[in-house]
Amino acid sequence: MCSIANANGKPYIPVSDSTPLVRLASSASSAREAQADATLRSLLKRNQNNLDVAIRVAQRFVARARSESDPRLLGQAQATLAPWWSLAEPPIPVLLLRATIRQSNHDFSNARRDLEQAVQRDSNNAQAWLTLATVQQVTADFDAATQSCKQLASLVEPLVATACMAVIDGARGRAQSAFEALDSVLATSKVSSSVNPVVRSWALTLQAELAVRLGRESAADRLFRASLAIDPADAYTLAMYADFLIDAGRARDVLSLIPNDTRADILLLRRGVAAKLVDHPESVQIASTLAQRFKASGARGDRLHLREESRFALLIKNAPEEALTLALDNWRVQKEPLDARIALEAAIAANRPKAVNDVMSWIATQQLQGEKINVLVRQVNAQIATQQRAAT
Amino acid sequence: MMHRAIAAFVVTTLALFAAPSVAHKAGDSYLTLQINGESLAGQWDVALRDLDLALNLDRNANATIDWGEVRTRHAEIADYTLRRLELKRGSVPCTLRAVEHLIDEHSDGTYAVMKLAGTCPTTSGQISVNYSLLFDIDAQHRGLLKLTSGDSDSVVTSAVFPAENRVQTFSSGAGGGAAQFLTYVADGVKHIAIGLDHILFLIALLLPAVLVRTGKTWTPVTDLRSAFWNVFKVVTAFTIAHSITLSLAALNILQLPSRWVESIIAISVLLTAIDNIWPFLPKQRWRVAFVFGLIHGFGFASVLIDLGLPASALVGSLLGFNLGVEIGQLVLVIVLVPLAYLSRRSWGYSRIALGGGSIAIAAISLGWCIERSFNVQLMPF
Repeated sequence: MCSIANANGKPYIPVSDSTPLVRLASSASSAREAQADATLRSLLKRNQNNLDVAIRVAQRFVARARSESDPRLLGQAQATLAPWWSLAEPPIPVLLLRATIRQSNHDFSNARRDLEQAVQRDSNNAQAWLTLATVQQVTADFDAATQSCKQLASLVEPLVATACMAVIDGARGRAQSAFEALDSVLATSKVSSSVNPVVRSWALTLQAELAVRLGRESAADRLFRASLAIDPADAYTLAMYADFLIDAGRARDVLSLIPNDTRADILLLRRGVAAKLVDHPESVQIASTLAQRFKASGARGDRLHLREESRFALLIKNAPEEALTLALDNWRVQKEPLDARIALEAAIAANRPKAVNDVMSWIATQQLQGEKINVLVRQVNAQIATQQRAAT
Repeated sequence: MMHRAIAAFVVTTLALFAAPSVAHKAGDSYLTLQINGESLAGQWDVALRDLDLALNLDRNANATIDWGEVRTRHAEIADYTLRRLELKRGSVPCTLRAVEHLIDEHSDGTYAVMKLAGTCPTTSGQISVNYSLLFDIDAQHRGLLKLTSGDSDSVVTSAVFPAENRVQTFSSGAGGGAAQFLTYVADGVKHIAIGLDHILFLIALLLPAVLVRTGKTWTPVTDLRSAFWNVFKVVTAFTIAHSITLSLAALNILQLPSRWVESIIAISVLLTAIDNIWPFLPKQRWRVAFVFGLIHGFGFASVLIDLGLPASALVGSLLGFNLGVEIGQLVLVIVLVPLAYLSRRSWGYSRIALGGGSIAIAAISLGWCIERSFNVQLMPF
């Protein structure tokens, strides 16, 4: 009898009682944090309907889900909020947590509904406006996202508001002005100590991504490093930096940037791509690990990894048709610049340029900028032209 | 890139964020169940890190779960998990217990593996599974079930249990109605195709259909019509007879021990073959077909019961299987009868086909009689 998904071999009995089986991620960065977590959880155990404690515990889970790159913690946050989860109008902090968890599960429409309710009930809620702007931007509703960012301006420090707009501008052909705006806010905020280092690191990553799109390689490299200097373990920054290095022909640097025991799939994917590019012996092992993880996600019915799965199919499995199908499925759900790029690359590799007509017209309408994307658009157009010549 | 916007801001204010497109998959358990008659077997793989949330396995709090910390908690693990899994057949609860505890690696970590055994005190009715493991701790946890019922070649059902859909019902056997019906039709055809005893019985019955018995000798029929009627009467009588007993047995109204049934089937083939050479049975062949058809029906039924009969689809599966048997039988008639009719006047037909064929059939069925009566293995088929 075999279990459904990917048991690597036969179940076994470990050699001795001291055989280690699982290394648990430490739940806190410090002993004090760990103690705080434990106190909160024991409080909640005594009364699961204590809203204040439940919110605090759920927020901790959500924060840890990010730092540990572990979606199980999102499910634990949701379970903590169970008494309020299904209410039509839960307390606003629950509404925000619910929206965040729903967004992470790519349930963008319900997340948006929750956030619209939140800002309606409390128009001064900066967190709600920022999360709403994010959902609107991810689904390419840029006008609405712009409005949400404007609402934010009077409520938060300039760096957050500027970054909020920079994301949208960067996706809409105004990467240059977005880059400059961030540059000046970051310069002034350097002196002020009030800015949270994590916000600063986020803004630096954002600026680095704009630099990549503007073709300023040395600036991009410097900004990514500056961001990682503040928050060295941030999975998103590491992934974006790795993509930059791979594009710049520096795959070897990725192997030293991302350790081989990374627990984050988005990072393992980058390491796998880099390993394959430089013919590193590890690439086979990474490929099989990733294949198993995607298969296991598929078995549970998740479609959250389409972006990574498409990359995996194209760059590691050499299966362009499959990559294209996945990229187009992904495009139906989220429309960020990276999603457009993934679709075009798959279409070119599969020699099916017309399959990405929608993406191409979106790029034209949004005036999406970037060295990489321009090259891809030209390649798609060239393929279409070749096919038309062959047909006539 | 905005995904991180929330992440960043959050830490300063509310501690909210949007996960960067997911790093791991969320938690799942893998449950395999096999139902065969009343007995249940299975395997349940649950992630150790998930069990740790519920049972605090890491007793020495060194952020590592070792085998000792799992081994000494096996009873608790079995109790905790199995309390959150309910199985029913029809309305009768089934029992499940852990018979062995192992460890296995899945793509997202190390899992506790429990081998399960149990019983469902009934063999009919839909199987309903109520899965509620870990939903109170991880709302995005899912149970992935693979359910096999009946023999090894029967249909496997896969299902996913999310928190919103904890109770799911499965017809034991195949999935949907039409597909299930066709499966049984195919089983019926297959049974005729590989059931050499039924084939030889039909051949023995039909070989003389193109002849007329006068006294102790056979003469060819004069026209196609009388040959057709002979075949029609024999096939119809056999069909009606075996349908009656197949239904009675499958519906649990009347059942005979299978060794008797198999032995009598062999005898029926033997007697029919002998009758072709030295007639002693009633002159109207359809009567022979009917009487022996009754016993062949019991033989079909044992196959159908072995396939695992869902009570919900009992009539459908019965009809489907019987239809399959008739189709297989008809194919045999269509191949055999025209050949027999065309060659009926030749010298070879009554001597070689009828005589030699019947002797061969008699010899084989005699072998079966001995094998089946004394439970020994003599022949390669």
